[in-house]
Amino acid sequence: MSSKFGLAGGIPERRVRPIWDAIDSRQFKNALKLVTSLLSKYPKSPYAFALKALIHERMGKTDEALSVCLDAKELLYKDDLALMDDLTLSTLQIVLQRLDHLDLATSCYAHACGKFPNNLELMMGLFNCYVREYSFVKQQQTAIKMYKLAGEERFLLWAVCSIQLQVLCDKSGEKLLLLAEGLLKKHIASHSMHEPEALMVYISLLEQESKYNDALEVLSGDLGSLLMIEVDKLRIQGRLLARANDYSAAVDVYKKILELSPDDWECFLHYLGCLLEDDSIWKYFDNIDQIHPTKHIECKFSHLTEEMFDSRISSASDLVQKLQRDNENSNLRGPYLAELEIEKRKFLFGKKNENKLLESLLQYFLKFGHLACYASDVEAYLQVLSPNKKAEFVGMLMKNSDSFSESATKVLGQTTTILKVQELTGNIFELPVDEIEASAVKLAKLYCQNLSLSKDLDPQESMFGEELLSLSSNMLVQLFWRTRDFGYLAEAIMVLELGLIIRGHVWQYKILLLHIYSYVGALPLAFERYKALDVKNILTETVSHHILRQMLESPMWVDLSNLLKDYLKFMDDHLRESADLTFLAYRHRNYSKVIEFVLFKQRLQHSNQYQAARVEAAVLQLKQNADSVEEEERILENLKSGVQLVELSNDIGSKTLRFNEDMQTRPWWTPCPEKNYLLGPFEEISYCPKENVKDDREENMKRAIQRKSLLPRMIYLSIQCTSTALKESAETNGSGGDVKICGELKCLLDEYTKMLGCSLNDAVEMITGISQGARTSESLGSNLVDWLNFVVFWNAWSLSSHEHWHVLNSLFERLILDRVRSMGSSDMSSCYSDVQVLVQIVTEPLAWHSLIIQACTRSSLPSGKKKKKNQHSDQLSSSPMSQAIKDSIQSLCSTIQEVSSWLLNQLNHPEDEQVERFLSTLKRDEDAAGGPGQILGVLESFIASSEESEVGNRIFQALKSWNTADTARKTVMAQQRVLREFLQICESKRKLLETLKQQMSHV
Amino acid sequence: MTTIRRFSCNDLLRFTSVNLDHLTETFNMSFYMTYLARWPDYFHVAEGPGNRVMGYIMGKVEGQGESWHGHVTAVTVSPEYRRQQLAKKLMNLLEDISDKIDKAYFVDLFVRASNTPAIKMYEKLGYIIYRRVLRYYSGEEDGLDMRKALSRDVEKKSVIPLKRPITPDELEYD
Repeated sequence: MSSKFGLAGGIPERRVRPIWDAIDSRQFKNALKLVTSLLSKYPKSPYAFALKALIHERMGKTDEALSVCLDAKELLYKDDLALMDDLTLSTLQIVLQRLDHLDLATSCYAHACGKFPNNLELMMGLFNCYVREYSFVKQQQTAIKMYKLAGEERFLLWAVCSIQLQVLCDKSGEKLLLLAEGLLKKHIASHSMHEPEALMVYISLLEQESKYNDALEVLSGDLGSLLMIEVDKLRIQGRLLARANDYSAAVDVYKKILELSPDDWECFLHYLGCLLEDDSIWKYFDNIDQIHPTKHIECKFSHLTEEMFDSRISSASDLVQKLQRDNENSNLRGPYLAELEIEKRKFLFGKKNENKLLESLLQYFLKFGHLACYASDVEAYLQVLSPNKKAEFVGMLMKNSDSFSESATKVLGQTTTILKVQELTGNIFELPVDEIEASAVKLAKLYCQNLSLSKDLDPQESMFGEELLSLSSNMLVQLFWRTRDFGYLAEAIMVLELGLIIRGHVWQYKILLLHIYSYVGALPLAFERYKALDVKNILTETVSHHILRQMLESPMWVDLSNLLKDYLKFMDDHLRESADLTFLAYRHRNYSKVIEFVLFKQRLQHSNQYQAARVEAAVLQLKQNADSVEEEERILENLKSGVQLVELSNDIGSKTLRFNEDMQTRPWWTPCPEKNYLLGPFEEISYCPKENVKDDREENMKRAIQRKSLLPRMIYLSIQCTSTALKESAETNGSGGDVKICGELKCLLDEYTKMLGCSLNDAVEMITGISQGARTSESLGSNLVDWLNFVVFWNAWSLSSHEHWHVLNSLFERLILDRVRSMGSSDMSSCYSDVQVLVQIVTEPLAWHSLIIQACTRSSLPSGKKKKKNQHSDQLSSSPMSQAIKDSIQSLCSTIQEVSSWLLNQLNHPEDEQVERFLSTLKRDEDAAGGPGQILGVLESFIASSEESEVGNRIFQALKSWNTADTARKTVMAQQRVLREFLQICESKRKLLETLKQQMSHV
Repeated sequence: MTTIRRFSCNDLLRFTSVNLDHLTETFNMSFYMTYLARWPDYFHVAEGPGNRVMGYIMGKVEGQGESWHGHVTAVTVSPEYRRQQLAKKLMNLLEDISDKIDKAYFVDLFVRASNTPAIKMYEKLGYIIYRRVLRYYSGEEDGLDMRKALSRDVEKKSVIPLKRPITPDELEYD
């Protein structure tokens, strides 16, 4: 804080220093005392007020802080003589920013700049205010003023960036770019240009205007020498030439780059693209959404004759061969992968060269097959092959892999690669069960045999053959999917847990386990494995999709609440501080980063996950407090009666949601949170395991978030409706009630059904049909819970209709009891998806409905304090509505009782018995030819026979600590915990309903 | 096949599989963005086929007079792309920028004293253990300050090892 010292507002430094010291050492009371005495001496000093506000803010007294800020502002405005220095203003700015009143800070600075129009420091402060507000136009105006005042290059570039941002973010007219270009040209003519970043902005501006040739001219002129790294300069040049459609010149530039850096893969792709005059690669250049680009690179050839294609491809081949020769001893993969790329293009052009492509893939395998990246290197090439060629290729690899044995690690690497290719090609889906089993057994053996290779490794280093366990567990999951034999899944858990005992740092094991545990309902363990991934900061945005959905559908509210809180805190913090970092980029003259930061902030702000989490955090609070209508009203008050979330819903409709999650790390059986193949029957799959799932996700996610964000408001309105409805029901001459509330609820119901894909009328028809048994509940699809929510609020809107109550009761009964019955005496592991649905029904629609009943009951009961019986209640007791409420309570009570009984029945099995049951799925009949347990058998017998001298002390100790039964017990206990938490919720709902029943009996 | 280019914000959304590795720290946003805003030339990412992030390096340039130097804050390579000398390429790039563009005297870095594989690698790249910093990592583990002299330090004065270990508060820069 030393920079804050000086003569501020006429106050000598020695009087201010102790206050800052006290603030810095968090002695706020002392600081407040000091500032009070300062104010008695300088009662009109805005700076003293600013300090006081700062102290209040730090003490958490936000109202006081704001009021003192306003006092300071008033002084600043009133007193013409007051020293309006940057210190006072920036201190005020800090406080106001933390109080979310950026606008006030801005107006103070604007006022000060108006009074002292030539003060550069104040203007920079004002510019900074506009950066914080993302007011690009005002940024531009302020920067131009500064440029005119000081003539410095940096201020001009601040203005240019602000213009570019207007065009990029505010969709302002591109004519503005012309203005920016003009300003830069004029400046260059008189002062030239001195910073590489300034040149980059100039070029990007010209590129934004599609003036590629102008940009090229700039680059090759004197200014070009500002870029000191030759390759960087060439890359820009190549890009500009390509975008200007001057392909032959671009080819020469890219050739040059490849000679300088032969391994530059992107450059090779650009080279090839230009050679074939294919501009599809540039299509994505301006598309900032390309975080996880599709793996197929589109290729356009239609404009080339066969002869042209042949001659160009042959010149590419010449270049690649030259690169290979020149770099023979350097082990670079680029020039060899390039050969594959060329074969792929030929294939896509229509040459019948599939065999040649296979041959090249094999050659690449022979050279680099032992590397861990072989499979991902060739993924794009495998994808173009026909299914039988894929299988043929796997066969070729198997045949060839046996022929080398230079070193054990190399052989291991190659074998692992083959298995990865097998997984990648979907070849595994075609194999019969026994072959997959045999493969998995082979993998386990291989893992054991090779453990000794890792004997002397540092525990930090990856071990040899680590991937074999992931691969074998993937096979086991596939075997489970096909046979529905739970033993395979149990075995997959064992294999991965053992892997973690041997080396606890393998995140791939943790992710696979997390998903298997989620599937079998051992959610606490899944969450534990997730936490072990140490997901924090930006990883919360890219990785939490692994667990978030399961948690949202679980009764583990405390963990869920923490998960949401951590994530939202990260996002909100970033959104708050991002502008300050943008200003940092401005100050350090890294203009290209300015634009990048602003776009990135927008990208996070529009993240689908962020929007969903905001809504879910609110809904979670409502779920947690749904047993008390008073508590719920308090929560709703904090949520501004749900109005803000309705606005969010409207807002989302018009925006593009961003998908920042990294789905690459998900297991094959659940490529995105909404999909889990294990929930459906095995199909002989023709899809590529890692399919691209983004396509219809956006629309579905959007609707889901929109629907959910209407909930709080609908809950609020429903509670309001109850008092109106009761009045109407009691007063024979119905007054018509609060038309506004009912009207709004009706509108929201309209909206809600629209987002379920139908009109309100159709929705009512659908649910009535189901309740009467004329339609099956399957017609509700996967949005069952959303539909039930709809029915609850539809009933709330029309409480006086006895029929609606009946529809609702019977739907609850039918949908809940159907599930309870179908689960029967099944084990939790096989029916967790049903439990998940029940959890959602009980904690959402059923909870909301109970809440509405509470509100009804409350309105119909005498208010406690007055001790005077409500005048309506006598009439109500005999009203049809009162009967409807009583019936509904009765129906809900017995339905929820069924759920509780099922849960109790599950929980009453002794733990040991359950562990035994779990383990028995892994026990094999000695004579049986196949079945679960073989892989674990291999691992266990290795553990029994392993020797310390062979695998080293560390691994040996780990192996000896393995205990299969312990792992089974942990899983069972985790499942039980979920059931207990759910039971608790059910019980509290049941008790609530019992109380309501009693209350209603007095009515 | 490696394209080495400047790191951009969007890469933060793509480096998951690199950062899930337990030895790679995921810093807060203002840390990454401060580096990007101040030293964009010292923050590079290596990208492989399919636009996969293979690894990255982040660093800065700081100091005064003869202690004007490049600093490697983090360098990391995904397990999938290890044993291919990628870290070396990234380090060389940072050294080059420190040497040629910023005319620094040396490049330095800190490493956990227990991280033998990393220390060995840095030694292979020409780094020398300059001094030990006691309890540098969260007040627990010692750190090693390793240095490599650049062409401007003709007499290689910057890399003459210190005889005694120092404590973190004696460090000139954080």
